[in-house]
Amino acid sequence: MASLLVNEMNYNPDIQAAVQKIESSLKHTYKLSTRTIALLLLQGDKEIHQLVQEKENSYAGIQKVIQETSVAFEQPINYVITLKRQELTNSLLADAVKEGKVTDNNRFSEILNKLTINPFTGIPILLLVLYYGLYQFVGVFGAGTLVDFLEADVFEIYINPLVNVWTARYIPWPVVQDLIANDYGIITLGIRYAIAIILPIVGTFFIAFSIIEDSGYLPRLALLVDRVFKAIGLNGRAVIPMTLGFGCDTMATMVTRTLETKRERIIATLLLALAIPCSAQLGVILALLSGKPLALAAWVSFLTLVFLFIGFLTAKLMPGDKPIFYMEVPPLRMPTIANVVSKTYTRMQWYFLEILPIFILASVLIWAGRLTGLFDLVVKALEPVMNLIGLPAEAAVAFLFGFFRRDYGAAGLYDLQQNGALSTEQLVVAAATLTLFVPCIAQFSMMLKERGLKTALAIAGFIFPFAFLAGYVLNLLLKMIGGI
Amino acid sequence: MLKKMRKGGKCCGSDTDPLELHGLKKIVLVGNPNVGKSVLFNRLTGAYVTVSNYPGTTVEVSRGKGKIGDKYFEVVDTPGMYSLLPITEEEAVSRRLLLNEHPEAVVHVVDAKNLPRMLPLTLQLIEAGLPVVLVLNMMDEAKKLGLDVNVSSLQKRLGVPVVSAVFIKGEGVEQLKRVIKENGKLVS
Repeated sequence: MASLLVNEMNYNPDIQAAVQKIESSLKHTYKLSTRTIALLLLQGDKEIHQLVQEKENSYAGIQKVIQETSVAFEQPINYVITLKRQELTNSLLADAVKEGKVTDNNRFSEILNKLTINPFTGIPILLLVLYYGLYQFVGVFGAGTLVDFLEADVFEIYINPLVNVWTARYIPWPVVQDLIANDYGIITLGIRYAIAIILPIVGTFFIAFSIIEDSGYLPRLALLVDRVFKAIGLNGRAVIPMTLGFGCDTMATMVTRTLETKRERIIATLLLALAIPCSAQLGVILALLSGKPLALAAWVSFLTLVFLFIGFLTAKLMPGDKPIFYMEVPPLRMPTIANVVSKTYTRMQWYFLEILPIFILASVLIWAGRLTGLFDLVVKALEPVMNLIGLPAEAAVAFLFGFFRRDYGAAGLYDLQQNGALSTEQLVVAAATLTLFVPCIAQFSMMLKERGLKTALAIAGFIFPFAFLAGYVLNLLLKMIGGI
Repeated sequence: MLKKMRKGGKCCGSDTDPLELHGLKKIVLVGNPNVGKSVLFNRLTGAYVTVSNYPGTTVEVSRGKGKIGDKYFEVVDTPGMYSLLPITEEEAVSRRLLLNEHPEAVVHVVDAKNLPRMLPLTLQLIEAGLPVVLVLNMMDEAKKLGLDVNVSSLQKRLGVPVVSAVFIKGEGVEQLKRVIKENGKLVS
């Protein structure tokens, strides 16, 4: 029944003739019509070329037809075909759509739209969003109030003592006791980190992020930062994976698929792995530094600097086309509570189910490491590195945790600070180095999947020494200005 | 309900147990980014895949099971595509799906506010010989902009069923189901 319309799709006599020639030499059946296959071949679709080359003996002949046709046109064939299709669309719509008066002119959303895009008002709006959405809600409320309650009131007072007493009473072997309870036990460390520290932070972040997402603010932010991003080899589109990275870098690495060129995808993957802290890490660091605005400012500016510097450098060093910016801007909409709730729930469930086994595994590994003395050995080996960046030897534990997950490492730092083992400068250096330091296991496996072994290894191989070098430089800088 | 999230390391794609879907006829949802495919997917399957207000939320194919009348179908949600000729990796994912699978219906979801930009893909899908149903989503927003779309005229010209919808409110879902049921194998 659709044949009538297909007949209307006459692109151009030359193209039509080429299509017919190609169609007649396609002997196999495809899931898409031979006409479509022929058109895609003409437009230089690599995947279809490969498919046809594998299936058809006549591929060389087809190539010749394509060659001959493309020289007959001044513009690329793709352009000619697209133009024709648009003409047909317009003629179809001329009959079917009538434009009347705009009945519901939403002034407020129009004004808001303009304010978010204009740099003079857009940047203050961005700062407001960051301050209330990220700092106040995630940092102060999530990582402060909620974590304090769960950590201090629930785990420290009820669960940990109970678990410690219970294991001491019923399990006669100290070795097994340590596996479950005490300093590094599955329940007292692994589950405590997951539930008391990570869960409230990730939860509040995803609530804030879902609301921002559903309002349609992100594409507007993309317009706003497009110019800055261009300098680091990305375009405004990359705002979405980058902001999502503040939630979970693993998710974000997957979303880099939406970027148009391979070069952009690699740059984005590198920057995510290096300079974007995930929500759990961010929350813990915000909580660590929240009482010290200068320290927080030092951490933020140092990471921003690293982000821009490395982005700029890779953009300069990596060959490839400069990105062009093209993105649809959907209308600003009122987020619906139902969608925000189910989205937050889905993401948290995913996140939690992913981290819990790793946390438990990490507890077991640390337990085994301590039992065999390997743990102390690694901590010892890291000691000189810690000293080099001005940190006490105990900080090595947090970095060791960081191998397992970004947030786990930050949580380890939290414990150190609670014990008063770090000065403000040390805290800043540790937080910055830990943020830059290796992507977590989950993120690394996503990098492998999306970018391939070579690129993933190259990125990790760069980040590891770079993080410590940056920590070293930051430590020197802080010393030079006489501390904060 | 959220089986997809349980598979380690995968975050944004839904994977219902493949055995459960084996042998079911497929309904594939395609269209430009940010037109409401995932909302429709959630409505048809009762599952939940992430829905947001920006293009590019879905980057993987999600599969779920939906029921129309008394028959079960496999419903497939795809990343947004602008054309059958892919530019980004997510578009390539969607096109590969159309190249490899044999759907009972290809539901092309479009934003009714932007038909001139959306219909070229409809034309390409029809040209490709796929069993297309065109869905004009966000009709409420289009009406507010003063756009009056004559559905039956569009249906006649295109030669494929056209359904108008506001998926976020659930409008048009039942009609779409009816159309798919009645037109079993929409291919002419």
